[in-house]
Amino acid sequence: MWKPVLISLPILLLVACNSSASSEGTEFPTERMELIAPASPGGGWDMTARSVHRAMTSDDIITQDFNVENMPGGGGEVGWQYLQRQDAHSTSVNSSLLLTNNLLGQSDLSYEDFTPIVMLLTEWIAWATATNADVQDADELITQLQDDPESLIFGLSPALGSGYHLSMSQIAMLSGVEPRDLQVLVYDSGGEAMNALLGGHIDILVNSMSVLSSQYEAGEIDIHAVTSPERLEMFPDVPTWQELGVDIEFPHWRGVMGPPDMSEEEIAQYDEWFGEMAESEQWQRDLESNMFFDFYMDSAETKDFLEEQNELFNDIIESVGLMP
Amino acid sequence: MDFSIIIDGLYTALQPINLMWLVIGAILGTIVGILPGLGPATGIAVLIPLTFGMEPISALILMAAIYYGALFGGSRSSILINTPGDGSSIAATFDGYPMTKKGQAGQAMSIAAIASLIGGVMAIFGFIFLAIPLAQFALNFGPAEYVMLFIFALSAVVALSMGNIAKGFLTMFIGLGISTIGVDLQSGVHRFTLDVPHLTDGIDFIVIIIGIYALGEVLYNMFNINKAKKPDQNIGSKWFTKEQWKKSLAPILRSGPIGFFLGILPGSGGTISSLLAYSTQKQIAKNKEEYGKGAVEGLVAPESANSSAAVGSMIPMLTMAIPGSGATAVMLGALIMIGIQPGPLLFENSPDLVWTLINSMFIGNIILVIINIAMVGMLVKVLHTPPKVLYPLVLVLSFLGAYTLGYSTVDFYILILAGVLGLLLRVLNYPVVPLILALIVGNDMEQNFMRATVIYDGPVSILFASPITIGLALLTILSLSYPLIIKLLGRRKKKDHPMTM
Repeated sequence: MWKPVLISLPILLLVACNSSASSEGTEFPTERMELIAPASPGGGWDMTARSVHRAMTSDDIITQDFNVENMPGGGGEVGWQYLQRQDAHSTSVNSSLLLTNNLLGQSDLSYEDFTPIVMLLTEWIAWATATNADVQDADELITQLQDDPESLIFGLSPALGSGYHLSMSQIAMLSGVEPRDLQVLVYDSGGEAMNALLGGHIDILVNSMSVLSSQYEAGEIDIHAVTSPERLEMFPDVPTWQELGVDIEFPHWRGVMGPPDMSEEEIAQYDEWFGEMAESEQWQRDLESNMFFDFYMDSAETKDFLEEQNELFNDIIESVGLMP
Repeated sequence: MDFSIIIDGLYTALQPINLMWLVIGAILGTIVGILPGLGPATGIAVLIPLTFGMEPISALILMAAIYYGALFGGSRSSILINTPGDGSSIAATFDGYPMTKKGQAGQAMSIAAIASLIGGVMAIFGFIFLAIPLAQFALNFGPAEYVMLFIFALSAVVALSMGNIAKGFLTMFIGLGISTIGVDLQSGVHRFTLDVPHLTDGIDFIVIIIGIYALGEVLYNMFNINKAKKPDQNIGSKWFTKEQWKKSLAPILRSGPIGFFLGILPGSGGTISSLLAYSTQKQIAKNKEEYGKGAVEGLVAPESANSSAAVGSMIPMLTMAIPGSGATAVMLGALIMIGIQPGPLLFENSPDLVWTLINSMFIGNIILVIINIAMVGMLVKVLHTPPKVLYPLVLVLSFLGAYTLGYSTVDFYILILAGVLGLLLRVLNYPVVPLILALIVGNDMEQNFMRATVIYDGPVSILFASPITIGLALLTILSLSYPLIIKLLGRRKKKDHPMTM
């Protein structure tokens, strides 16, 4: 009962102030701004949105009243359908699900229905095994899968067709293993899948470094190979897949997009805000503590990148046979 | 154990600023617990921006206090108006509301608060001595073990509907049916989602709980709202009697450990622990016929268990960075943002933080008892509120609560449907709890079953997967055949001592 009251009170006040203050008309922004996290509090999208919010407001980059709104449901679908009907004051966090939902036939919304604004950060994906499973390296795993693709059980989250699933399928394909033969268990969250790995219920966990790092540091799991183009500074002992002869570079990115038909001035304004934010100390600190990696691209670069990614995902999904 | 660090933790917890956050957290938690639908997860999420400027330890104290505080508050509306706000306070309606009807509302609320306190304190001791080994043991729960645990929980609850087990099974299957709505994780297939994006994540069981209980209660009373005579205007003493206390102590002490262990298992949480505590208590009780009619033992057992489960569920979150519930998932995210990295190294790297938290939980539980008992006098006024005022209020709160859960108006329709369903079940005298528990565990049970079929060869090898599954299977058989055994024993007793019956 208190939440709506508490939230709407300052909004009402600010709206009242604004309407009297800005009479000019053509400027942007003119009213309250919102950043949509198309998920419940607590997940990756929510954390990204709240980090953006904190960096933007604590350094006074955006002085307009600015809030994070959670709109969970349908793997982003609920929040993004809402965004489609808004104006440039609303933006939403996105990720590869924006592309795959459409490619897998689960959503009619495509990335082309929105205005690309920025690419913010990425996580890099790795394969991990429990330390007591005594696996030497990724080569050993691949060799075993080539002999018998059903001999190892993979765990991933949060859905088939996610970046984790697509990347492991691509790795299998590149190593001459039929992705359709692999045994995959899907978990709700990375934490649950980690539980299963530590308890010996799955053999290989495919997830991002941020989920894997604390158990890795505690010596409970081994991380074998990562999808980044170069070794990560924080994990100098983890080789890249490319070093192992598997030609893959697979970011698990997150960015921000706006509603369709934004004006060039509005896009330029967001470019300025996000450009400044990406440099800010608060943002860099947040990236580090969440173990996210800087992946900043401005709106033009983001547009090209999304096209590239869409093509790549389309290829993988077709060859894995995930097509509807 | 190094005692100086415990004392240091106590000092930090007693610093005025931390004490202030603790009290604020306890009050907010209680309020959040009382309001339907507004659970601790939402409560903590709303406060995340507030924690940014705080010391990490203060933030942790505040969030934890909201979490276990909500469990104290949760039973209030169950006891007073038979409308639980979430899963873990359902069991408090079984005997809590009948106590209100008997004119013991004040006593019910104060003894429930004491039960929560003792359950919480027991769990804190468990936390101190057993956190790491138990978190390790919980890892043994894989797909097969979870399937068996859920089957056991369901069977124990169905067995509670003594006399009409068939009806219990029927409502259980309705619940399992509803739980299949949404995307099937293992295959990616959309089931019964009717192209409504909101339904792809399934139906939130809390919406169903609010619908069946709150809306159902309002609808049920609507027919005779004008002649509705209050059950008993006498709200009774605020303090429980010595006799009630004597009856309660053993159930409280028994249920705490049950709740604590089930809390540590990710995904099982408060609902299962309070329902299992209730069914265990009832099955071993001598005065079974009093249960459901206002037996104080039936109220304190689940209250002790769910308070204990809340503390327990923080263990996997802090020691393994694996959240076991919605609220702990939000806490985990917030902790990372303020620069605390939970995980196996937390206890080694920042023992000061852990010990301050433990000390603050002690103090917090005591503060909560004081708050909750002080509020008894205010809350019982609800009973004097005429239905014409009370029920519209309940309706508004229900719809607000349902909206805050998913921020979607689709939930309004689900809420209304659930209300009608609740009314029907009540009129036809079908048990509601099997339906709700099935709805809560149904999806997890199915997903784990699907995972188990990949890992094991067949259903029989799932049963014999480990000593844990065998043990749970035996418990299942025991709880299902229990009513039968009682009957047989009863018959023999009758033969032996015809005079006692």
